[in-house]
Amino acid sequence: MASTTVESGAAGHGAEPRGKRSEDGQATYLIAVAEALWEEMERDDRVIMLGEDIGVYGGAFKVTEGFLERFGSERVMDTPIAEETIVGFAVGAAMEGWRPIAEFQYSDFMTSGFDEITTVLSRYHYRSGVKTPVVLRAPSGGGVRASNFHSINPEPWFAYAGGIKIMCPAFPSDAKGLLKSAIRDDNPSLFLEHKALYRRIKEHVSEDAEALIPISSAAVKRPGDDVTIVTYGAMVHKALEAADTLEGRGVSVEVVDLRTVYPMDEETVLRSIEKTSRALVLYESFHFLGIGAEVASVIAEKAFEHLDAPVMRLAPPNHPVPFSPPLEDAFLPQVADIEAAVDRLSAW
Amino acid sequence: MIGSRSPAWLLTPPGLIDYDIANEAMHTLARRRLADEIPDTVIVLQHPPVFTAGRRATEDELLWDEATVTARGGAVRRIDRGGSFTFHGPGQLVVYPILGLGSRPDAAAHLRRLEEVAIRSCADMGVTVARRADVQTGVWSGEDKICAIGVRLLRTRVTLHGMALNCNTDLAWFDGIVACGLPDHGVTSLSRLLGRDVGVEEVAPIAIDHLADAFDLRWSPAPEEISRPLAGAAVA
Amino acid sequence: MTSIQMPQLGETIVEGTILKWLKNEGDAVKADEPLFEISTDKVDTEVPSPVAGTVTKLLVAEGTTVPVGTAVMEIDDGSGAGSGGDGATAPIAASPEAPAQAAAPAQAAAPAPAAPAAHAAQPPQQADQPAAPQTPARAAPQTPMPDRGPRSNILSPIVRKLARERGLDLATIAGSGEGGRITKADVLAATAGTAPAASTATATPLPAAGPEGAALMAAPPSMPAGQDEDAQPMSHIRKAIASHMLASTQQTARAWTMVEVNVDHLVRLREDTKEKFQANYGVKLTYLPMVTRATVDALHEFPLVNSRLDGDDIVTPRFVNMGIAVSYDAGLIVPVVKGVDGMNTVGIARAIADLAARARSHQLQPDEVQGATFTITNPGPYGSLLSVPIINQPNAGILSLDGIQKRPVVVEDDAIAVRSMVYISMSWDHRLIDGELATRFLARVKHNLETWDFAEDLGV
Repeated sequence: MASTTVESGAAGHGAEPRGKRSEDGQATYLIAVAEALWEEMERDDRVIMLGEDIGVYGGAFKVTEGFLERFGSERVMDTPIAEETIVGFAVGAAMEGWRPIAEFQYSDFMTSGFDEITTVLSRYHYRSGVKTPVVLRAPSGGGVRASNFHSINPEPWFAYAGGIKIMCPAFPSDAKGLLKSAIRDDNPSLFLEHKALYRRIKEHVSEDAEALIPISSAAVKRPGDDVTIVTYGAMVHKALEAADTLEGRGVSVEVVDLRTVYPMDEETVLRSIEKTSRALVLYESFHFLGIGAEVASVIAEKAFEHLDAPVMRLAPPNHPVPFSPPLEDAFLPQVADIEAAVDRLSAW
Repeated sequence: MIGSRSPAWLLTPPGLIDYDIANEAMHTLARRRLADEIPDTVIVLQHPPVFTAGRRATEDELLWDEATVTARGGAVRRIDRGGSFTFHGPGQLVVYPILGLGSRPDAAAHLRRLEEVAIRSCADMGVTVARRADVQTGVWSGEDKICAIGVRLLRTRVTLHGMALNCNTDLAWFDGIVACGLPDHGVTSLSRLLGRDVGVEEVAPIAIDHLADAFDLRWSPAPEEISRPLAGAAVA
Repeated sequence: MTSIQMPQLGETIVEGTILKWLKNEGDAVKADEPLFEISTDKVDTEVPSPVAGTVTKLLVAEGTTVPVGTAVMEIDDGSGAGSGGDGATAPIAASPEAPAQAAAPAQAAAPAPAAPAAHAAQPPQQADQPAAPQTPARAAPQTPMPDRGPRSNILSPIVRKLARERGLDLATIAGSGEGGRITKADVLAATAGTAPAASTATATPLPAAGPEGAALMAAPPSMPAGQDEDAQPMSHIRKAIASHMLASTQQTARAWTMVEVNVDHLVRLREDTKEKFQANYGVKLTYLPMVTRATVDALHEFPLVNSRLDGDDIVTPRFVNMGIAVSYDAGLIVPVVKGVDGMNTVGIARAIADLAARARSHQLQPDEVQGATFTITNPGPYGSLLSVPIINQPNAGILSLDGIQKRPVVVEDDAIAVRSMVYISMSWDHRLIDGELATRFLARVKHNLETWDFAEDLGV
């Protein structure tokens, strides 16, 4: 494999993703993901990538721009539109010692490979003792007017499989550190990148290629005393915004970002509830059976004695994601809804 | 005064807001305030022409018959506040503070504060007006009333209705009633007293500041679901 | 049996007319359901029921006008207590609308260690307002969990756990949560050395500190009035003041520091401008507003002096509410200038004049005698030269402005001249503050008074 030197800072094809940070050195969520992929591809030759349009086109969201030029077509593979085959190929390659990262163009399309993910990938090590270190990654989530073919939060479906670690980071530095950890982990993982956050947030992200965020570790993104909001993904940012307003009303809100939804970091969540005694579980996957349903159950079961009010949940209904903007806005929890829920919870 | 003001929602739907819809919205908000579901809320708006009759109003205080009122584009409504007939219409700043009065309600203090808001707002506009305890609640320039005030309480604890300050109201409408049940007193407006056209847009921001001061409130934007019903009720 | 009276809707509203009965004899009524419509000369309203039960008697006809406090209806609520305002309504003043899901009880919001005057001011008002079913008198001991609201029997897991761990009898506290629910915060407050507000409101209007404080000292032997002596029971206010003062003396580690301030220029300024000030602003110009303003600045510089102890926490407000001690016919009361740090000297002068006047005419509202973060007393006008005041709990200090007196003092070049001087001192709580801080604080007040040009601030 020829190793071409590229100039960082150059725009367009062939540029290393780090060169795409802003002038003050901040990286968007998207660039943070790209940096993680690039660094892990450089670090370990066994890491390979496959997906629709990731090579020549640079990816539907341009995450993998420049990768084909840098790493070549044996390690960066464009596939047909065939999700089942993508997963099957990844499983097979993993069995042979590769560490594949399979991209789905939108998380909505993952269900075309549902059986391969749940029956095969998630169970193969259990059945045969052979490790399958596959990372599935996809842009997920709504709020971008992409309607119900391009806005799903699929994590509940795959958490049910029981053999796949699922991560849904909310911040660029968490995205980079978690993706690196997922790639290095020998278990199958599902890394969901919230598409509404791709270009909308940026922050200073470590340039240290060894800076990892541990899987299954939640983080308190805002400390508080009166109410805990447990959440993940794009909802973390809405929770933080609501918390600022609520602070002005004298309600101190603690925001716990799960970061990994399965297996969940129960300890951080329960510690927060012990402090505040009031829990609002806020999630973008659907209300019934979404990730928050499980979180609420854990809180009720394991922090019962610390509760001063029932555990409340706030999530969209089990319904196709609407296309019309006012309908989508009504469908998703908004900052005002979060404030109202916290008000109700505080007043209980 | 950090920390001692209570948060309150301020609703300022533009245009002329249909009286029935505004009255309905005000009562709904008051019930929610009673249940402590929402904070104190203040509505500031204008109405299309309407005569409202309080509990003490008698039929002979409506000098025009209903047909005449309708022909002129007005309406007549009997409502649940005390007091007699009054008029609301374009050019008049109407304020409905929906406030919780707490466990020791002092309605008289609430009315005094409303008067204070009107007095200070007029003072800022350059006009000295006063309350007249010898006549009636409200704010006066001499024998003429410039601001009518009428309040009702919900379960003794939440305020309804409020005050109406004439900015450039067409005072001819008041010929249709014995205003506030006082045949020997007239009405006036800021425009009449200042000899120039003073619109609600000019007075409203001043009154809103004085409302915050008089009632110790800190404004905060109301959620969409609260402001939407009123914003959609503009008739002009 | 509960007696329903014509309610008091405001101090100046003395009577009301029953417009319409909404319930008839024999009708069932739920708590907070409207009973009848009234009209007063200021407002109309419907009056809700404080209890659930059955209407037994309508005592007055529709259309009748009766004075506030008149019994107009009787409701059988199953309690069997006697007639009058001490029926089985919630015995806690904190939840007069306890049955409703209405606003959190306003009085419960008052923190227990509030100025004594808060409680002192209430009894006279309550005596004048028999209307509200809020009398603090407790009915005869009944069930262990009296009905303090529809949700007062909901005990959340954390409430039960904390009560169990801390040995707290939940029947002794009332809840500040919705519908009277006891919340975690209520239990924490009840067991942190600070009684929750509601429980102090149930007892006679003395601060929580009072009974405990009094218990520490053995009572002196009784010496009733003898020949040529008169005996008179202490008024409520007197008792409240006594209790507060005793508690303060026993609970605070009181130390005292004094400075001497040259106020010659202030005396001259006041002489020159007092008439114009009175004409412009309608209030007399005294030294108290100027000293208050100087003190507020010092409190900003040394926020610890503005703080209070809450259990093991030092609570430091980011605002200043200045208590101003006022003596009046019933004794001593400390109205509070809220947000004094946002006022200039004129504003302070007006606020003090207004509060003092209303204090003397017994027109202060309960929230006007609560919430002081620091207190100033001004015995100077009565002739004192130097005073050692008692701290107004839970403040960290109380400043005394005594009498201004012309004295010979040493000035520049070791000459002796006559100047108007005043002793300004502070009693302070050594648990919170140390001597150096207290002294520097007073030095700052002195510096402000000696160097500021108040003329501009007075606008004359």
